[in-house]
Amino acid sequence: MSELLIRHACVVDPVNRISGEIMDLAVRDGRIVESVSDRAEVIDAQGFLTMAGGIDSHTHICGTKVNFGRYMSPEDMRAGRTLKKGQMHSTSGYSVPTTYGNSYRYATMGYTAVLEGAMAPLEARHTHEEFMATPLQDTMANVLFDGNWPVMEAVRDRDVKRVAAIVAWVLTAVKGFAIKITNPGGTEAWGWGKNVTCIRDPVPYFEVTPAEIIETLIRANEILRLPHSVHLHCNNLGTPGNYSCTIGSMDVAPDLNKERQSLYVTHVQFHSYGGTSWKDINSKAHVVADAVNRKPHIVIDMGQMMFGKTTTMTADGPMEFNLYKLHHNKWSNHDVELETGSGIIPVYYSRKSIVNSVMWAIGLELALLIKNPEQCLLATDNPNGSPFVKYPEIIALLMSNPYRQAEIATLPPETESRISLPAIDRELDWNEIAMMTRAGQGRALGLRKLGRGHLGLGAIADIAIYPLSIGAIDPSKEYTRVIEALRLTRYTIKNGKVIARDGEILSNRNKTTIWVRPKIPEQHRMDHDPDFIRNFERYYTVRMSNYPVQEAYVPESTCIETEAVW
Amino acid sequence: MLHEDVVCPFCACLCDDLKVETDNGTIVKVDNACDLGNHKFLRDDNHRLKEPIRRTPSGWTSATLQHAIDRTVEILLGADRPLLYGWSGTHGEAQSIGVHMAEVLGGVIDSTTSVCHGPSILAIQEVGHPGCTLGQVKNRADLVVYWGANPIEAHPRHMSRYTTYTDGFFLDRAFKERKVIVVDIRRTQTAEVADEFILIKKGGDYAVLSALRAIVRGKSDMIPATVAGVTKEQLLRIAEMCKKAKFGAFFFGMGITQTQGKYKNIRNAIELVDELNRHTKFTLTPMRGHYNVYGFNEVCTWMTGYPYAVDFCRGMAFYNPGETSAVDILTRKECDACLVVASDPAAHFPKDAVRHLGEIPTVQIDPYPNTTTAFCELQIPVAVTGIDAQGTSYRMDGVPIRVKSILNRGYPTDTDILGEIYRRIKEAKRV
Amino acid sequence: MRVILDVKPRKNPFLPVEAECLVPKNFVDEREPRDLSVWVGNKERRLEEVVTLTREGTATSPEDVELVLRGDTSRFKRVGEYMEAGRITIEGDIGMHCGNLMKGGMIVIHGNADSWLAREMVGGTVRCNGDAHHYCASGYRGEKRGMRGGEVEVMGNAGDFTAEYLTGGSVTIHGNSGDLTGVEMAGGTLIVHGDCSRVCANMTGGTGYVYGMVHHMIPTFRFRETAIIGPEKVKMSVFEGDIANRGKGTLFIKVYKYPL
Repeated sequence: MSELLIRHACVVDPVNRISGEIMDLAVRDGRIVESVSDRAEVIDAQGFLTMAGGIDSHTHICGTKVNFGRYMSPEDMRAGRTLKKGQMHSTSGYSVPTTYGNSYRYATMGYTAVLEGAMAPLEARHTHEEFMATPLQDTMANVLFDGNWPVMEAVRDRDVKRVAAIVAWVLTAVKGFAIKITNPGGTEAWGWGKNVTCIRDPVPYFEVTPAEIIETLIRANEILRLPHSVHLHCNNLGTPGNYSCTIGSMDVAPDLNKERQSLYVTHVQFHSYGGTSWKDINSKAHVVADAVNRKPHIVIDMGQMMFGKTTTMTADGPMEFNLYKLHHNKWSNHDVELETGSGIIPVYYSRKSIVNSVMWAIGLELALLIKNPEQCLLATDNPNGSPFVKYPEIIALLMSNPYRQAEIATLPPETESRISLPAIDRELDWNEIAMMTRAGQGRALGLRKLGRGHLGLGAIADIAIYPLSIGAIDPSKEYTRVIEALRLTRYTIKNGKVIARDGEILSNRNKTTIWVRPKIPEQHRMDHDPDFIRNFERYYTVRMSNYPVQEAYVPESTCIETEAVW
Repeated sequence: MLHEDVVCPFCACLCDDLKVETDNGTIVKVDNACDLGNHKFLRDDNHRLKEPIRRTPSGWTSATLQHAIDRTVEILLGADRPLLYGWSGTHGEAQSIGVHMAEVLGGVIDSTTSVCHGPSILAIQEVGHPGCTLGQVKNRADLVVYWGANPIEAHPRHMSRYTTYTDGFFLDRAFKERKVIVVDIRRTQTAEVADEFILIKKGGDYAVLSALRAIVRGKSDMIPATVAGVTKEQLLRIAEMCKKAKFGAFFFGMGITQTQGKYKNIRNAIELVDELNRHTKFTLTPMRGHYNVYGFNEVCTWMTGYPYAVDFCRGMAFYNPGETSAVDILTRKECDACLVVASDPAAHFPKDAVRHLGEIPTVQIDPYPNTTTAFCELQIPVAVTGIDAQGTSYRMDGVPIRVKSILNRGYPTDTDILGEIYRRIKEAKRV
Repeated sequence: MRVILDVKPRKNPFLPVEAECLVPKNFVDEREPRDLSVWVGNKERRLEEVVTLTREGTATSPEDVELVLRGDTSRFKRVGEYMEAGRITIEGDIGMHCGNLMKGGMIVIHGNADSWLAREMVGGTVRCNGDAHHYCASGYRGEKRGMRGGEVEVMGNAGDFTAEYLTGGSVTIHGNSGDLTGVEMAGGTLIVHGDCSRVCANMTGGTGYVYGMVHHMIPTFRFRETAIIGPEKVKMSVFEGDIANRGKGTLFIKVYKYPL
C-alpha cells in the first residue's frame, strides 16, 4: 500500500467545481481518496496551481510515419539533443523527438496521458513498440479507417452493422482505442495519386462518398458503444475555402450520445480557411465557431499553429504532396494497403508570411469564439502545427489579450483585415484552461467516468503541480510568468507516484496502454465471415493470423470492454 | 507437428505464409519457402555451435555461459571506444538492448545497413521517401522497375508475392497487364523476364537518372545521343512508359547503393520518382537484404533519433556515416573492442577492417560458426530467431511482423544474453 | 600571443580525440586551459593530460590569440569548431571536422586535412596546404544549406563530395578534386584548378569553375556559349543547370567528357 498526501494544493478542477481552492489531496494506491494515514509521504504544494495530469487528445508521437519523420530528419534530431543522466536516457529531436524525448518532455510539462493521432492497423505493432518505449504516459491509439476497403464496401452496401463488425474486429485485433478517419476516401484516391474534393465526391472505384463514410462510421461507433467518438480529420486540409467542407462534415454528424460528443473534429485551424487561393486566404474561424456553438454534439481541437520550424506528418497523403510541390522540401509518402496513407514534410511557419499569420490567428479565434471550452480542446496536432512544448505559450495567449495584441503587432499589416483576432478581447480563466487541457479531454475520450481528467474521489492520481500561485498573478499582464510556470512542473505525479520534479525525471516506467474490445454477437464476427477472410488473404500481403497484435506488445494493458447495441 | 503461417527469417521479403513440419525437435519439411528459406530451416540443425567457445593459445575450447558473459562484460567495460555491430539477423527486442548498451557504455552502435542500404537512408535524409507497403504494389502496379536489383536470385519470391506474377485487386490478369523494366550492367536472370531491359555502363546510373528526370520534365534537348551506353531513344521510351503507367513501383538494390556515388544514385532515383508523381502515381522501395535490417533502423531511430552508425561517446547520440560507421571505424583502428551480433562482418568487410577485428578483443553472439569466428576470442551461440526464438521483425516496406518460435533447442535467446550483459554493465556503472 | 600545444604520445594513437575546446577564445585567459577537456573515446581527459601547453606573450581578446598545434594531430577532431576570431595553425595533419561551423578567424593547416574540413562554415578563412579528404566545405546530413560564407582554399587535392550543398562563400581547390564535387550546390563560388568528376551534379544555383577536365560530365546541363575567362584568358564552355533539378546555376568548364 502506498500513500501520498499533497498539502496546500491550489486545485483547479472544473469537473468537481473546484476553482482555485487551497486544499489537501490524499492518494492511496494510485487513486484519490478521502484521507490517508500519518505514514503517508507528504508533499507541500506551497499553494501552487494543481490540476489533473494533462491529456493530449491528438498528438503524433508513435508509429510508422512518426519514425519516418525522425529518420529522414537528422538535422531535426541534432537540434534537440540532451545528455543521458542517471537513469534518464539521452534524447534527440526538436519537432520529432525520440520516444524518450517525447515522454520526458510531456512528463516535465505535467502531461500523463496521450492519444496517438493515427495508427494504421497493418502497422499497429510498430506503434505499440513505441508505446512501450514511451515510459511515462498512458498511451492510446486512434485507428485509421478512412481508406479501409471492407469498410468502404459495407458503407456502399449501406450495411452499418457490418461496418460495426469490421471495426470491432480491427480495434480488438490491433488493440486500438478509437475510430479515426483522415481525409475519408481521399487516402484511397491517393492510392492512384488522386484526391477527393469534398464530402460528396465519390471515391474512385468504391463509389462511396466521404459523407457516407463519416456518417456510417459514427453510427457504427455508437452501436459499439466505444468510449470515444469518431475522430475526424476533414477532407481538404489546408486548402483556401475549405471551411465550407468542414461545416458540411459537421452537418453530416447525427447526435447519438448523451454523455459526450458524437463527432470529434480535429485540428480545425487547418480546416477554417476562407478565400480562393493563397493570395486571398482569410479566416473563417468565426463561421466554424458559430457552427460548433450551435452543435453541442461536436467537439473540436484547435490544431494551433505556432511560428518556427516543425515537421508535418499526417495520414493525408495528397495534402502532404501538395505541400511538397509548394515548398520543394524533402517529402516522404507511405500508403498502407487496403487501409490508409501518410505523408511527411518539414515546414517553416514564418511571421513574415501573411498565410502563416492568418493560420496562427485562426487557432486562437476558434478557442476564443467557441463559448464552451469543453468543445474546443487545446492541441497543435503535434508536431504539425507546432511541437507540443509550445502549449504553455498557447495557454498564455488565450489568457492574455495584451500578449495577443503584442504578437499581432509583429505580423505583416495585411494580415489584420483577414482575421477577427484583433477585436476579440476575451481572456480565458484557469477553469477554462483546465477544461481545454485535461477535463475536456477526459470527457471527449470517454475516460472521465474512469477517473481521468479530474481530481475527484476515486479519480486516478495523475496530478500536475505547477510553480505558480494563481491568486497572486494576473495572467493577462504577467503572461511570461505563466509560460515559465507551465513549462516545468514542480511535481508530476502518475498513479500516485512522483515521476518528475523541476524538470528531473524520477521514474523509469509508469504507464498503461488503454484499448478497447467491443463485443458483438458471435455469429456476426468478422473472424467467422468467409468473405472477409477470403478477401483478407487475397489482397493483403500478410496472413490474417499474423495480423493481430500479440499480448507481448502490451505488457501494461487497460482493456475497456463494451457491449454493442446490436 | 504442422506449423502454419510461419514467418521466414531470411530476407526482407519476410514471407509469412510458410508451412513448416517438425517432428521430435527436428524440422522435416518446409512448404512455400524459396531455396534460401528452405536452406535456413532445413540445414539449421547441422551447423549450430553447441556451446560457447573461447580461444586459447592451443586452440578453441568450450566455455561456460557464465564465463562467456563475464568476459564480454569485462571487455566492454574496459574499452574506451567499443563498437557494437551487426544486429540485422536478430529480433527487435534484442536490438533495443543493444542500443541501450551502447548508450550506457559510451560506445558506437552500427548495423549491416552501413554496407548495404545505408546509402538509401542517406538519400532519404536528403529528399525523403515516396513509398508504400508492398500490398499497394501488388494490388495496383501496372509498371514495375528493378534497378540494380536481381530479385530472382536475391529475393526469390518477391516477384510472385508482390510484383510481376501476383494478382491484384485492380488487376485481373496481372501478369499480362504488368510491364517490367530491368536496369542493370549485365543481363541477370531478372533481366531475362523483363519487358524492357536497359543495359547500362558501370557507374552510369546517376547520369541516366538525371537524363530521365530532365526528359520527364519535358526537357530533352541537351541530352547527348547516348548516356552511359543507353541510347536517347531508349531513354525517351522508358520515360514515356513511366508517365503512362497508372501506378509505377520502383525497386532498387546494391547495384546502385554500392556503386560510385552511392547515396547520390539513390537520391537521383527518388527525385525521379518525385517528378513522376507530378504525372501519375509512383512509389519507391529499397530491396532490403537481411530479414530484420530495417527493424534495426526503426528501433535505433525511435530510441536515438538516428537509423544506424550512432556514437554515444559524448553521452548523447551523434550520427555521421563515414565517421561513425563500422567499416570506417575498424579501418582507421578507432575502436578498441567489438561485439558482433547476428551478422558476419569478416565475410563482407574490406581486409583492413577485418584485420583490426583480429587485433582487438572481439566477441560474437551467433548461432553458427562463420568467417567472423576466426577473428574472435569468444563466441556465444543463441537461438535462431524464427526457429527457436521469437520477436519483432520489419519487412522491407516497414510492415512489422512477429517472427515465431517453432521449436525449443535449449539455447538462450539474444534477448536473454544481451539482457544479462546489459544488466551487469549497468550494475558496474551504478545506473 | 601564441599558445603552442604539443601533442604528447598516446598509448593508443588511433583513438580519436574530440577537441572542440581548441578555439582561440578559450585561451585568452591564462587560467582557463586548466579547465578544458578533450574526449578520448568515451573518457574525458584534461587538456593538459593530452598536450603540453606553452604560452608566448599575452592577449586581451581572441583576435590576438594564435593556437599552434604540433605533433600528431591527425586524429584530433572538431578543432576550431564554432571559432569566431583568432588564428589556429596546425603544423601537421588534422583530423575530421576542423573548422566546423566556423564564423570568423583563420585556420592554416600545413599538412593534410581529414574529412569534413570547414563543414557548415559561416565565415572566416581556412587554408590547407596539403590535401583535404572527403566532404571538404560541405554541409550536414539532412540540412538544405551547407557552407554559407567564408573562404576555403586547398593547395593540394580534395576528395569526393567537396563543397556538397555549397550555399555561400568560396571554395578553391588548386589540385584535383574528387567525384561529385559541388553536388547539390545552391550558391557561392567553387573553383577547381585541376580535374574532377561529375561536377555540380543536381546544382540549383551559384557558380562553378573547372580549369582542368571534368570526367563523367552530367548530361543535363545545357550548353550556352564559350567565353574567355580571367586574366589568363582561358577559353571555357559555359553551361546552365542542372536542368534535371530545375537548376539555375552556371558552370565554366575548360574540358569535359560525357559518359557515353
